[in-house]
Amino acid sequence: MNASEYLPKDEVAIIGGGPAGMQTALALSERGFSVRIYEQKEQLGGHLKGWHHLFPHGVAASDLLGQLKEQVLARAVPLHLGQSVDRLQKVGAGWVLWQGERPLGRAGVVVLANGFALFDARRKEEYGYGLYPSVLTAADLEAVFRKEQPWPFGSDRMAPQVGFVHCVGSRDLKCGSPHCSKLCCVTAVKQAMAVKSLFPEAQVYCFYMDLRMHGLEYEELYRKAQVDYGVRFIRGRLSEAAPGQGKRLHVKAEDTLQGRPLHLQLDMLVLMSGMVPAFLLEQQERAVFLKEPVFGSGFVPVQGLLAAGSVVQQEGLFASGACKGPATLPEVFADAAAVAREVEQYLKSLKAVAHA
Amino acid sequence: MASLLSQLKDDIRFSEGLSACMNCGICTAVCPAAAYFDYDPRRICQLVQTGDEQDLENLLKGEEIWMCGQCLSCKARCPRGNVPGYLIQALRKLSQQSGHFIHSREGRKQIRLKRRIGHSILETGYCVHPQMVEPETHPEQGPVWVWALEQGADLYRRCGSNYYGEGEGGLRKMAPGVLDELEAIFEETGGLRFWEAIERGAEELKLNTEP
Amino acid sequence: MTPLLWKDYQKEVPDNHYFFVRSCIRQTFFPGAEAALLDILRNSLGLDVFEDRRHTTCTGIAYHCDLVPLETIMTVIARQLSLMTEAGYRHLLVSCVTSFGIYLEMLDMWQHHPEMLEQTREALWKSTRRSFELPVALVHTSDLVYHLRKPIADRSPHRLVDKSTQRALRVVDHVGCHYAKIFPAGGFGGAEFPSVLSGLAETFGGEMVDYPERRHCCGFGFRHYLLQENRGYSLSNSRIKFESMEAFAPDLILTNCPGCNMFLDRWQYTLAEMSGKTYDREGKGIPVLSHEELAALMLGRDPWTLGLQMHQVQLEPLLDKIGIVYQARQKYSMLAGAASLPGEPSVLKVSFQ
Repeated sequence: MNASEYLPKDEVAIIGGGPAGMQTALALSERGFSVRIYEQKEQLGGHLKGWHHLFPHGVAASDLLGQLKEQVLARAVPLHLGQSVDRLQKVGAGWVLWQGERPLGRAGVVVLANGFALFDARRKEEYGYGLYPSVLTAADLEAVFRKEQPWPFGSDRMAPQVGFVHCVGSRDLKCGSPHCSKLCCVTAVKQAMAVKSLFPEAQVYCFYMDLRMHGLEYEELYRKAQVDYGVRFIRGRLSEAAPGQGKRLHVKAEDTLQGRPLHLQLDMLVLMSGMVPAFLLEQQERAVFLKEPVFGSGFVPVQGLLAAGSVVQQEGLFASGACKGPATLPEVFADAAAVAREVEQYLKSLKAVAHA
Repeated sequence: MASLLSQLKDDIRFSEGLSACMNCGICTAVCPAAAYFDYDPRRICQLVQTGDEQDLENLLKGEEIWMCGQCLSCKARCPRGNVPGYLIQALRKLSQQSGHFIHSREGRKQIRLKRRIGHSILETGYCVHPQMVEPETHPEQGPVWVWALEQGADLYRRCGSNYYGEGEGGLRKMAPGVLDELEAIFEETGGLRFWEAIERGAEELKLNTEP
Repeated sequence: MTPLLWKDYQKEVPDNHYFFVRSCIRQTFFPGAEAALLDILRNSLGLDVFEDRRHTTCTGIAYHCDLVPLETIMTVIARQLSLMTEAGYRHLLVSCVTSFGIYLEMLDMWQHHPEMLEQTREALWKSTRRSFELPVALVHTSDLVYHLRKPIADRSPHRLVDKSTQRALRVVDHVGCHYAKIFPAGGFGGAEFPSVLSGLAETFGGEMVDYPERRHCCGFGFRHYLLQENRGYSLSNSRIKFESMEAFAPDLILTNCPGCNMFLDRWQYTLAEMSGKTYDREGKGIPVLSHEELAALMLGRDPWTLGLQMHQVQLEPLLDKIGIVYQARQKYSMLAGAASLPGEPSVLKVSFQ
């Protein structure tokens, strides 16, 4: 078979129904392409489903998700929910999507939009996640904000001592994650402010190494956290958390700007688990496998600076959003548009070949 | 004369100990010496990685490098895979080799340690053995230790030890030839030359203090 | 990703055929512990454990006092390995935690820098006409006791349970820093939650207590302990641990490092003399045992042949709780007959009945 013989009816298959997948689907659908979404869960939304509110303006996550879903429904994008693609087989110029031994469908183009995973904080054993109930991840804290999970300290604690640990499972060679997860800094600031809003008497510390406030209005948020909320920023990586007095935690860090070791008793410790690859892309000549990541695996590699999402070595395979590396929602949305344009060019070039 | 930095880089423990430090302080946070002394392993990494020759000389002449207790708790935690404890080993070696150690109070103590622990190795085959732990200089060992030493062989042999006896077992006297082999190893591998450097420092101190 | 958690990590330990090397500190302060270990391995479990009388100190204490160059300690280690090779063994069993760390470190350096291995072979040959093979397994004695915990427990008449109340005894562990902090893969459970002692105590029915400064160093500090005027470092770090474990009222401190075993015992006495404070409720101190001492007691070995009278914090309160019957009068008697009694501390309570 060659390209002229194989032009599937459904031109684009999008793997992943989170913000990246939905937005890419919308952008392509608006350009007139037929698109389908394959989502492994029973619902659209990805990680956004678990979030409470979003930095920097505090928009409710459910509002944003609702708008995205509405648009996807309005454009009648076919959804294949509960379908987890683990293999792509190249047939002619297109792809067959497989889940185990079951073919799920065909497509001329596949866009990987299956996002990221959150670093499994249990692996940073010195922080005691999974052992000490007062140690939460940032995602757990969102669940607390959403009232799906209780606070880890008693209701008698009106002035809890709370610590946020930046860079958990990122910028850490011991965890196989050398990269910066880049949005944990602003997430910690957002969550610290939220905790202070709920417990005005709380003492909130952020343990950071570099505050990477790269986004629009993030730096302003940091200042606000200091000025209006009294959040204390300590430049030092937390070394360990151990059981302390009562239900509290005993934590150690160095205040590197003061050059002295610091011990604190905390009621809650929030680990800013970073974004890590959700899958390992194994590329063969006529097949691509989506496998469990291993220690040190990277994100999906794309070609150079001019291509937003063309996956290295694979014609007709694109990647959109945070499966290529840590990204904020605005970045994911902008990326979706860029990837859509690239997919459009590719499909047009295929048709040009077919008609020639 | 090679620069201090290049001499330091010749020590494998330097490259094993410090590739690039991000100054996160995770080592200092867990460091028992930082909890006790005015000591900061992160600061030492930072100082060495700036590579300034004068700073390095000051470090080798100063007290700080002698504070580390060599527990190596830092190795378990560093997110960059550095080992400040190894860096300290390389710095202390260079401080003694170059003679800078006599400029610090803590450095000068190496002379005593060398004559005590070092010599014990070649004289007995042990770093430490019971008769070195004199109650007068080890009050923390308590009355039980005074008693144990008084009983000596009677007590130790009851517990299955050979206690300075000929033959097999714990605390045995080293068999003929064993200490010669140890000394030959020290000779061949620079152990004795290193001790000479420490003694040269001791000589220099003596000259400086004599009127 | 299915996470690899270090705390679940199981080190591979051979079942038999070991070449044994001793610890300077254990031989000095706890001579009965090494003797008991060999007795248990050889006589209770029927294992082949060989010792060559020509082995020496590894020089690790001097190395960490920065008195021995790397090339020198490497070659001393190589000499020990040549004795192992000569005897036909490939499994090294190490009594000392400092030594254990040194062996791991040398093997690691040889692996990363094969040229250093060649230099070491050459230096050893030139100085002693010896050659050596690398060990296939490097095992600390606590690894082996942990590995054999079930057969040991099966043969044990005792459990870590208060015989009169059936309460599980509360155990705090202190794993020597050089056991797994330098090379997590060298020990059971990795650097943060080594299971080598907790697993042993739990097998005997004890209840493990996690305490805030569990991973803090005992404070040996090498030069700091060996220099009398620096000893405050050592004392103050042990104090951090006692202060931290006090609230949990432990019945026992369990160690695997000979130095830690000694410091955690002696500093309780010193702190009591200095400040009047003890860290148990009765003023007797918290008993300290190493892994071999615990195993020997559980197996019903005589506490005084085991050398427990050389501990400053007396073990009798623990023996009584467990229900171990001992001959109090034998404790301080020698082969030649009754001996003098040790002096009495001014604060820490001891009994000479």
